[in-house]
Amino acid sequence: MSNTLRPYLTAVRSTLTAAMCVENFSSQVVERHNKPEIEAGTSKEVIMNPLMISRNENEQVLIETSVNSVRISIKIKQADDLETILCHKFSRFMMMRADNFVILRRKPVDGYDISFLITNTHTEQMYKHKLVDFIVHFMEAVDREISEMKLSVNKRARTVAESYLGQFM
Amino acid sequence: MSSPDVHELTLSPITAHSFNGDRTKLAVCPNDTNVHIYNTSSNNWSIEATLKDHDKVVTGIDFAPNSNRIVTCSQDRNAYVWTQENGVWKPALVLLRINRAATYVRWSPNEDKFAVASGARAISVCYFDEDNDWWGSKHIKKPIRSTVLSVDWHPNNVLLASGSADMKARVFSAFIKGVDKKPAPTVWGDKLPFNTLCGEFQSNRGGWVHSVAFSPSGDVLAFAGHDSSINIAYPSADGNPTVVTVVTPSLPYLSLIWANDRQIVAAGHDCAPVLFETSDNQDWHLTGSLDENKKKTSISTSVLSRFKTMDSRGSSDNDTDLNTIHQNTILQVRPYSGSPDQVAQFSTAGVDGKIVIWDFDPSRVAKDLSSLRV
Amino acid sequence: MAFRRIDIDQYDEDIYTEEEILADAESGRSIDEINSVVDARATDVRNLLTRGNNSDALTKSLEDPPYGRNLESAKAKNIKTVVDVLNQFRANDIPTAIKGLNLDQQDVLMKYLYAALSKPEQFNSGMILNWHEKLTEVAGPGSIVRVMTDKRTVF
Repeated sequence: MSNTLRPYLTAVRSTLTAAMCVENFSSQVVERHNKPEIEAGTSKEVIMNPLMISRNENEQVLIETSVNSVRISIKIKQADDLETILCHKFSRFMMMRADNFVILRRKPVDGYDISFLITNTHTEQMYKHKLVDFIVHFMEAVDREISEMKLSVNKRARTVAESYLGQFM
Repeated sequence: MSSPDVHELTLSPITAHSFNGDRTKLAVCPNDTNVHIYNTSSNNWSIEATLKDHDKVVTGIDFAPNSNRIVTCSQDRNAYVWTQENGVWKPALVLLRINRAATYVRWSPNEDKFAVASGARAISVCYFDEDNDWWGSKHIKKPIRSTVLSVDWHPNNVLLASGSADMKARVFSAFIKGVDKKPAPTVWGDKLPFNTLCGEFQSNRGGWVHSVAFSPSGDVLAFAGHDSSINIAYPSADGNPTVVTVVTPSLPYLSLIWANDRQIVAAGHDCAPVLFETSDNQDWHLTGSLDENKKKTSISTSVLSRFKTMDSRGSSDNDTDLNTIHQNTILQVRPYSGSPDQVAQFSTAGVDGKIVIWDFDPSRVAKDLSSLRV
Repeated sequence: MAFRRIDIDQYDEDIYTEEEILADAESGRSIDEINSVVDARATDVRNLLTRGNNSDALTKSLEDPPYGRNLESAKAKNIKTVVDVLNQFRANDIPTAIKGLNLDQQDVLMKYLYAALSKPEQFNSGMILNWHEKLTEVAGPGSIVRVMTDKRTVF
């Protein structure tokens, strides 16, 4: 299956580069306000078609763009219950610290595990290609983190079981 | 001066810029509520004045070359006209009567009117009202359905082109009785009272119209859409205009100008100005990038230093800078020198806080656009 | 306090609604007509494939996409036709096939690739991602932007 990883990440990278063309756009609905239009959702003409890229049924990325903001939602691969719990804890840890993360959204979009919100202020302060690099790197790293955590949980469980049951032998 | 002439003014984006008539002064907004006026007569540009009256980001600035007045408009729904008295810039009241942000402003060719594009789905055409000593306005509203992103005046001072977020480019008549004389008939029509729609164009593929520009003669309209395409519209007398669309493989363009009747310079999210040209007014094509992509040679490219950074930082020398001169999106392109029929130099302002003055030299075009991609 | 729940923006006549935007992008033909065109095209394409004429099958399947609202079954059938054709190509033949398409056809192909990627349970994403990579090399991120901005969607 890993031979689909590289084209998957390339596709995500090129779609993100195309989606991150955002600019400053003042709200049409409320005067003197400047909101991320993908979150406000009131003016339909400034929101573009959402695109989904999937590697298989369990791993998908949804990219929704508007004139001044992009929302990227990632569904992480969760093969069994243990991975589901680990994924949930891991993403919750990060989402609680979303302010420091800057581009992270506090709640994931329905059906996905983690969401990013990138607005024109972020692209003004940071290089767009580095933001894209970061998101792609994040997608690679999160899978690795969860499998490492699963291995260490199993290892600890085995050590605990051995030392506990060992006293009965 | 060597080409291109790069000036890094701020670390924040330059939302609007405008040079005065003899290019000795530059007005910019560094993404805040102020407008800085730079003295550009020497090679070291310095701030000589700051205009502080706006409450929110200034989105449009235009310097009138002949009458030496500046008009600024901002997201706080206001616009001011500044005149210089004894070296101090004084604002004059403008009654825009819009209830949303203003996005773009341009003086008309005769500098007796200016047009302000706004998020109130209207264009405010303002003229000086002598009796009350203020600038009054008339609104162009129908059939605009969304924020107007840019405007451009026709050389005859009456017709106005607009591009808006409802994906259409339109040409209106902005004839103000008492200020304008009746214009000669053009290809866009004759007998044009205020707010007549003379033409409406859209690209088939959707995409908000970021920028519109009339050709130097005024007979052709070019507009750039978010669908990464440039469209050139030729109106015709029988009401069936031809629209030539040039679809590009690069990211969308935010601003364009006509260099002459056959060539257009556009710039946008690709961070480099590109050239479009036609030989016969039928077949427009993308010729290439005017930024020659001289990749900055790093200071020490020796193998030893590369291994040193790999050892100390754990990673090889990452090149975060882009190959182009601008490091982030280009927001505006404006002609700098030359006549409207043949532009000799143009200036660009970008999100990276740089103002770059380029020589318009179609012979130095980098045809290979793939080097623009990171 | 009931006034707080009223969506006042729905009464504003000036806003550009989703319905209006999609109506602007309609092709003007009836649903049955489009359905029959899609079916006819599916049979044509299958014939070309059985004869081994892959590149012609590709251009035929990309012809005249069913744009518009309320056309779910026609769109789903057309996506299936296109993906069937894509499956027939070997990995090395993909770049030549893409070079044989003009700009409009490349844009339509990109739309179909994203349509197929959004239904991973029906289509093999690995092969589609391969096509996507090769097509982006030729058509650039501009074609991806056009998939996002064009309201005439194929899914």
